[in-house]
Amino acid sequence: MTTLPRIVPWVVLALVVSCGSAVGAAPPTSVDGVPIDPEAELVVALPDDTTNMDPRIGMGSIRSTYIRQVFESLVDVDRQGRPVPGLALTWKPVNDLTWEFALRRGVSFHDGEPFNADTVLFNLDRMFRKNLERWGIKDVAAGTSFEKVYPFVARWEKVDDFTVRVHTTEPSPNLWDVLGREPLVPRAWTIKNGVEGLNDKPVGTGPWKLVEWKRKDHMSFERNDAYWGTPGFTKRLRLQVIPEAAARIAALRAGQVHLVDAVPPLDAEVLGRNAAVRVVSAVQKLACRLYVNGRTKDAYESGGRDGAFLDPKVRMALNLAVNREAVIAKIFHGLALANASPVATVAYGYAAQPPYPYDVARAKALLAEAGFTAAQPLTLQLLFPAKHYGQAFDETVAAVVEMLKAVGVQVTLQTLDFGSLLQTLTKGTLPPNGGFAACRTSNNLDADDFVRDWASTTLVNWTPYPPELLSLYQATRRQVDAKKRLAALADLQQRVREWAPVVSLYQEKKAYAHSTRVLQFTPTPELNMDFRGVALKR
Amino acid sequence: MRAFLLRRLVHAVFVVWGVVTVVFFLVRLTGDPAALLVDATATREEIAHARQMLGLDRPLHVQYLDFLRAAPRGDFGLSIRERRPAMRMVLEHFWPATAQLAFAAIVLSVVLPIPLGVVAATHRNGVVDHASRLGSLFLQSMPSFWLGLMLILLFAVALGGLLPAYGWGTLSHLILPALTLAAAPLAQNVRLVRAGMLEVLQHDYVRTARAKGLAERAVIYRHAFRNAAGPFLTVSGLSLGFMLSGTIVIETVFSWPGMGRLIVQAVPGRDFPVIQAAVFLFAMLFVAVNLVVDVLQGLLDPRARVFEDAA
Repeated sequence: MTTLPRIVPWVVLALVVSCGSAVGAAPPTSVDGVPIDPEAELVVALPDDTTNMDPRIGMGSIRSTYIRQVFESLVDVDRQGRPVPGLALTWKPVNDLTWEFALRRGVSFHDGEPFNADTVLFNLDRMFRKNLERWGIKDVAAGTSFEKVYPFVARWEKVDDFTVRVHTTEPSPNLWDVLGREPLVPRAWTIKNGVEGLNDKPVGTGPWKLVEWKRKDHMSFERNDAYWGTPGFTKRLRLQVIPEAAARIAALRAGQVHLVDAVPPLDAEVLGRNAAVRVVSAVQKLACRLYVNGRTKDAYESGGRDGAFLDPKVRMALNLAVNREAVIAKIFHGLALANASPVATVAYGYAAQPPYPYDVARAKALLAEAGFTAAQPLTLQLLFPAKHYGQAFDETVAAVVEMLKAVGVQVTLQTLDFGSLLQTLTKGTLPPNGGFAACRTSNNLDADDFVRDWASTTLVNWTPYPPELLSLYQATRRQVDAKKRLAALADLQQRVREWAPVVSLYQEKKAYAHSTRVLQFTPTPELNMDFRGVALKR
Repeated sequence: MRAFLLRRLVHAVFVVWGVVTVVFFLVRLTGDPAALLVDATATREEIAHARQMLGLDRPLHVQYLDFLRAAPRGDFGLSIRERRPAMRMVLEHFWPATAQLAFAAIVLSVVLPIPLGVVAATHRNGVVDHASRLGSLFLQSMPSFWLGLMLILLFAVALGGLLPAYGWGTLSHLILPALTLAAAPLAQNVRLVRAGMLEVLQHDYVRTARAKGLAERAVIYRHAFRNAAGPFLTVSGLSLGFMLSGTIVIETVFSWPGMGRLIVQAVPGRDFPVIQAAVFLFAMLFVAVNLVVDVLQGLLDPRARVFEDAA
């Protein structure tokens, strides 16, 4: 087993002082010499409301933008999506089976409750469903069942008021990410108000205090003047729900909102020509793919047949049949990228892989080698959740279907709603020649969240790792030496690229538009928008 | 009248029970909400755990009996997505947002067609008649989401923010969504009133009324319109359903935080309790409005007094 001094330097963080302004410091009155209005309200148009504010229930992309204004995690991210100290100042392994988090001092929740080691222990109890009866709080239907996904996390303890240790039964090099990115809720407040209280009027340590939540309409916040880091540079923040993209853009052009989330690619190009509007974008972790049935007959309701895509040659052929450059240029107007790695380009541990070339002849040859001919063609029943991931996704799937037909694959497109797709996947009733179009993203920073997709039977895993890749994957999970782990992750990514478990389509770049009054807004690769330090010109 | 109302009340109970029962079983045929609550990388065990937490692992008949016991108290359970009481959520979105919008649109689509349709009929083939027919055709054939977006672009963008592009709470917020929602039923009602009036204006009793020397206004509104209003009233009652379902599109375009958007998200999200609570409320409203229409029709036209027959 490797020794501790070889752990990656940026994970073994030395004590880092708060990089923002001092606690309670007033926001500036100018930014780069431009006078700003610290009393103003920043109005941001989002496509949807959150359904709840309890982080345990889930941290999807929309929810994340709401939840992370109020709640914070041990590990924060900078504008490039790199880990930086949040509520923890440092995190380091004490030995191969123990991680230690040193907590930030002097931080309080919005109601005055102090943040300390007890807060972290309480949150770990909630995450791993331990001691809930002791705390007198209900369990919730959580997005991630930590106790099932990370069963090797054995216990946690308070070393002192600002130090917590987490013990595991096997080495876990990415535990700082797994635990560190989960937003933390107050202990006493939650015990007093119950988990329902977290959903109704949540109280966190974040840069914004929730003032009003009119569901499906808006959520209003006030700047947390006692915030430990860089605060918002406006007095108030309003997250306004405007579901229709055209209406969001009209509201921006009318000057009724300052910043717009989720600008469709075509609109982004048109808006970019408007002098009163700035369009900015950031690469996201959202990876969209065609998943195909590569399970063996014993691993699903197969009717006695192996998945038609069990042979990697077949899956590679499908990958070679897709003209990603055309998709990105014509449908996304450049607001997407091709990524042949299973890991998002902005995740820690990503290793760039050669793109899958668009090679129709080679695709046809591979299909022939796999035994599919014009007389006996490969068929694909593709389930397609229309209107779930946006118009560009829908158009991409339609285009890719035609590309697959061009190499001789007989594709039947079956449109259904997202819930029905999940129903099929849960039951395991995808037909042997079945597949589905879907996207996946991550709330974490480490590559592990992506490469674990094929390690256990999950909704999206229809091509489980063969034994040698599974061993390689498990090695990356146990390797605590950072350099060796990165090398193992790179090797795994290369092998996964060649093994081609999915038909990679694109990785999203998300576009935002804002008025020229908005200063210092930088989109991040994370799921949430960050308004710390964002100002409005006076 | 009392017996009629009592009978209709009993009918209403059965209608509402039938509707919510059908919906109870239908929504469960559409699939399992548990998979929607967990990450895509969840295992079957995680999904099963979520299902158990929601109580969806119990036999269907047990779930239904629990539902029947609780629903009469207005308890439709907790929303699966928001974990709040479903009926409270539905009522929060219905009142005042959806009620305001639907009421404004009903007023526009019921009140305006009367003078417009009457004038068109009394000036048949005149400029007003042609304009009214053309306008009605135009409004009826235009998709409401497109009309809404055009109105936003015109009033919020091109006219420099004359009216707000989104939101609710003030009269200025109400104007564009109410106009958009009312457009199609208004056009339909203008045509109905016009057609009805054209028919009754040919009748002898209208000629007699004029021969008696009654003022033209009295002839038109007291004699002719009263007889022409039957189909108009029936269709207006039915159009309440259109108003409520039409709000789904309008609320999305104008970011109106009403019941329509709640349902739009509850259906794909398999939020059974919210769907059931919303359907219950819709059914109650339909039954109530139809009752009011029956009574009104009887008041306007003695031949249509269903309640006298029953008494």
